[in-house]
Amino acid sequence: MTFKEAVERTPNLKTGWRSGKGALEAKDKPHIKPEDTRQLRGSAFMDAALRTREPHANRWDYAIGYQHTNRNAEFIYWVETHTGSDDQIKVVLKKLEWLKTWLRRDGQHLDRFDRDMIWVSSGHTLFTKGSAQVKRLAQKGLLYSGAILRIPNERPV
Amino acid sequence: MTTLNIRNVGQITDARLTFGDLTVLVGPQATGKSIALQLLKLMVDAGQVQGELSRYGLDWSGRLPDFLDVYLGEGMHGVWRQGESSIEWAGRAVDLAQLAARKRRAKDESLFFIPAQRVLALRDGWPRPFTDYSPGDPFAVREYSEKLRVLVEQEFGAAEDLFPQERRLKREFRDLLEKNVFSNFHLRVDKIRSQKRLVLGAGGGAENLPYMVWSAGQREFVPLLLGFYWLMPPTKVSTRAEIEWVVLEELEMGLHPRAISVVVLLVLELVARGYRVCLSTHSPQVLDAIWALKHLRENQAPPETLLRIFEAPNTQPMQRLAASAMEKTVKVYYFNRETGTTGDISNLDPSAEGQAEAGWGGLSEFSGRANEAVARAVANAGREEQQ
Repeated sequence: MTFKEAVERTPNLKTGWRSGKGALEAKDKPHIKPEDTRQLRGSAFMDAALRTREPHANRWDYAIGYQHTNRNAEFIYWVETHTGSDDQIKVVLKKLEWLKTWLRRDGQHLDRFDRDMIWVSSGHTLFTKGSAQVKRLAQKGLLYSGAILRIPNERPV
Repeated sequence: MTTLNIRNVGQITDARLTFGDLTVLVGPQATGKSIALQLLKLMVDAGQVQGELSRYGLDWSGRLPDFLDVYLGEGMHGVWRQGESSIEWAGRAVDLAQLAARKRRAKDESLFFIPAQRVLALRDGWPRPFTDYSPGDPFAVREYSEKLRVLVEQEFGAAEDLFPQERRLKREFRDLLEKNVFSNFHLRVDKIRSQKRLVLGAGGGAENLPYMVWSAGQREFVPLLLGFYWLMPPTKVSTRAEIEWVVLEELEMGLHPRAISVVVLLVLELVARGYRVCLSTHSPQVLDAIWALKHLRENQAPPETLLRIFEAPNTQPMQRLAASAMEKTVKVYYFNRETGTTGDISNLDPSAEGQAEAGWGGLSEFSGRANEAVARAVANAGREEQQ
């Protein structure tokens, strides 16, 4: 199954697929830098698609599909763009919990893809790569990329 | 600000350094940091270096290769490639061949160099004189060793403890060092037959511990402590008047992070006293401190916030130190092994586009990779594979 097909089979998200970075808000597009945009397999703006159904939930921002040249299956980057500061850790971890629950409940097709879950800083970053905060996030399964998420053509093994 | 530009010397293709009150050099092994620091010493102190070499009977016959072998150490003449290598100091080209050919008038030293190999300065627990080394040993090591010998022999009474020492270092530093390095041991001079030696004594009739049974960290730290003593004389004047610059290579060697923390604070004390300090380091902790210093300054945080990082007491002398350190300019440079060039990464911005700055010159790369591996394992655990 492709990323596009999986999105289209997911309740409340089925009309949310856009090609390339098309689903991303303009302010967020510069934060995502694929090595080859032709390898993008589309994107979905979950926060907007699920706003009506779950208005009070800590909704996740985006899913971005990518075809790495050294992998058979497509790969999903689950991206939350959010201010990179200490006081936002709790908020983003809540969003992560929401995403995991949603994947199990409604997003089973998308849940089957290999993935990274990534916090991309939308403003000034105050975490360092080796910091305890970033380790705390890692233990929950969340990568912190800083202001830019670079997607390489070849996925590191 | 003073600049040093080095081209095609050793591993360096093009290094451009602008010195702040505190300058930190980072980068993998053998990328030219130490050569750059030794060339800085030569630019500042050519007369003093030549004077010392001559005083101890070293003769380079006016030839640059021979001079580099006695100054940088045996076999190091190859770092200078005639016709390719060049140096600019404070905006002016320096002819190194001419510098070696013509002896300069000896003058007082302006740059105090604490070399990475400082542990060699103590043999059997006593500082070795300049002449105790082989002619092929680097000048910086021999010179430092000699300084420590003079310090220990001339500035301390026979019965005094060298640590703790009321006339040296602030009380707060003595407390931090007792807690984090010496564990209530005293550093003192002992005699075995007629030979003086430094020992660690616990007091209360306990045996003195000779140099060889000290912990690796204590063996590394004592020569460094003596260097700090040299730079902070027990007078009303807070600096050695003739010294403007201090170079400290790899301050972290052999030390636990708590001890590193005290040493970094001592470095800030040097900067607060008005020395211009240049460090090389492989310790992310040093850059953590620099990064915090920058952000605390930008956000006009009170000095005690800086002290809290070092677990230092919030006393007036320490507040003055912190306030002064927070006003100083700090520069950080990355020595790139692949290109042989340097990059200014002073902003230490984790979100910088350049990997050198975001990864702090490689010092946080390993941590970053460990975090990535864990995050990916957790994110992908326990779900159904795609068919």
